[in-house]
Amino acid sequence: MLADNPRSTAAIAGHPIHVMLVPIPIACFAGALVADVTYAETADMQWANMSAWLLIAGIIFTVLAAIAGLIDFFGEARIRTLRAAWIHVVGNVVVLILSIFNELVHSRDAYTSVVPAGLALSAITVAILLVTGWNGWSMVHRHRVAVLPESGP
Amino acid sequence: MKPSLLLLAVFAAVIAACGPSPIDPKRQLGAHPYLPPMHQYLLPPMHLANKASWGNKTPKVAAGLKIRAFAANLKNPRSVYVLPNGDVLVVEPDGPMPPSPARPKDFVMQWMEHKTHSGTKAPNDILLFRDSNGDGVPEFHSVFIRNLRSPFGVVLVGNDLYVADTDAILRFPYRTGETSIDVPGVRLCKLPAFPIDHHWTKSLTASPDGTKLYAGVGSNSNITENGLSAEIGRASIWEIDRATGAHHEFATGLRNPNGLTFEPQTHVLWAVVNERDELGPDLVPDYLTSVRRGAFYGWPYSYWGQHVDPRVQPQRPDLVASAIAPDYALSSHVAPLGLVFYTGTNLPVRYRGGAFVGEHGSWDRSVFNGYKVVFIPFANGQPSGMPQDVVTGFLDGDNMHGRPVGLAVDSHGGLLIADDVGNAVWRVTAR
Repeated sequence: MLADNPRSTAAIAGHPIHVMLVPIPIACFAGALVADVTYAETADMQWANMSAWLLIAGIIFTVLAAIAGLIDFFGEARIRTLRAAWIHVVGNVVVLILSIFNELVHSRDAYTSVVPAGLALSAITVAILLVTGWNGWSMVHRHRVAVLPESGP
Repeated sequence: MKPSLLLLAVFAAVIAACGPSPIDPKRQLGAHPYLPPMHQYLLPPMHLANKASWGNKTPKVAAGLKIRAFAANLKNPRSVYVLPNGDVLVVEPDGPMPPSPARPKDFVMQWMEHKTHSGTKAPNDILLFRDSNGDGVPEFHSVFIRNLRSPFGVVLVGNDLYVADTDAILRFPYRTGETSIDVPGVRLCKLPAFPIDHHWTKSLTASPDGTKLYAGVGSNSNITENGLSAEIGRASIWEIDRATGAHHEFATGLRNPNGLTFEPQTHVLWAVVNERDELGPDLVPDYLTSVRRGAFYGWPYSYWGQHVDPRVQPQRPDLVASAIAPDYALSSHVAPLGLVFYTGTNLPVRYRGGAFVGEHGSWDRSVFNGYKVVFIPFANGQPSGMPQDVVTGFLDGDNMHGRPVGLAVDSHGGLLIADDVGNAVWRVTAR
């Protein structure tokens, strides 16, 4: 088993970049859903605005995380043999596309920037993230992707 | 280009192509415009013209007319006003600083504003031009009032000259023939302005008997996206008591009313109004209307009477039920900002008593609309025919030499047109 875990190609001093970035879009898209629900309840524009900011930040960090992730994916053949990796990649590409649509919906003015299409897209995005996040984490804790070999005494 | 970027570009192009094609604007003129179904975009079409200087060119005029520059090399001239002695005031406002972006879209909107409006930094002054012999060449000009705050409307009542800054109506003492006023203005009343101040031009006129002033106060958003609390006192025409400064809303639901003026025959207040965007290339028609005391014209809850706008929440069916349709559609997104009734005698007889409207021009429609001055004939105080193009040529393909804004009739009967992109005031007379 020693030194035999699938390696991360996009890494700084052995620290994989992808896993450092992924919490940001996850938090942004989840936050956007919360903001959208709150806007739908209150019609207070600050929540719709917050959602639009969270979505754009989520999109930017999804792209950055995807670049690091795809370098890992194509840099290590053993990652590409994992079913979880394929679900993770395809699912998150869908997340990115939906979120770009969602940002466009959120660029409308006032109520229909969120209700119903924006809110629905935010909810679908988070639902997909639950699946892709689960599979992403499986890659680490089950398949030991980017886990360093034990170097005990 | 990376495949993903290419994909993104294709994706954007496909989305941008979604949406209805513009109809012939002629279907939206007059009292009963055709109103197509609403279309809410993912990516609204933005068709912006390129600013290009006039050079030796001038706007084109209808048969029997001629045009020449009355004043050039100005800085964002937006309104013109003629004093009783014939002196012409030209207002050079600098729009207020845009607020910090409330959301990512605001960066795009601010870029668009920059692309389509005068890039000239204006001094917030009012200039005075004197053309005593009426040949269209001023012999004299001066800075009349300095250091205003985004001024737009001007009206003289007796010896009181009122200027509508974006945040207040100021009164200045005026004596006939004076060419500059150095004393500070006295505030008659405050007007809704900062910090957002989306539609900032405050149009101004006085009742025929001089006791009341009327100020146009535009909305603080396209369609309440800055919150309903930002709209208090806005999208309305204020009636202000000239003696006390006491004010109330004379009529409401007028998204961005400009060109306030009394029809000379019936003494009824008229205005041109910029309606809402992003419901399609042909919604909502901008309009010319008489303004009824106490009337509600729909914004934001409904348009053209009782067509409900789903973007406004909470909805107000009670207010929608009371909304009245305006008098006369000018077609969509023409952006009328100037209105004057022709009371002179220089222009051909067909223009007498009718209205000229300055249409600043569209930015959110794939086929340009507006960018011209039109004439609407009137009979017995009501529009009596279709608009006719009077001054065109502001656009040349995708190049924009100028954009008409405020209008006035000078003491020799010439029609004056403020052109805020061409930085000129044009004068139209009989050939």
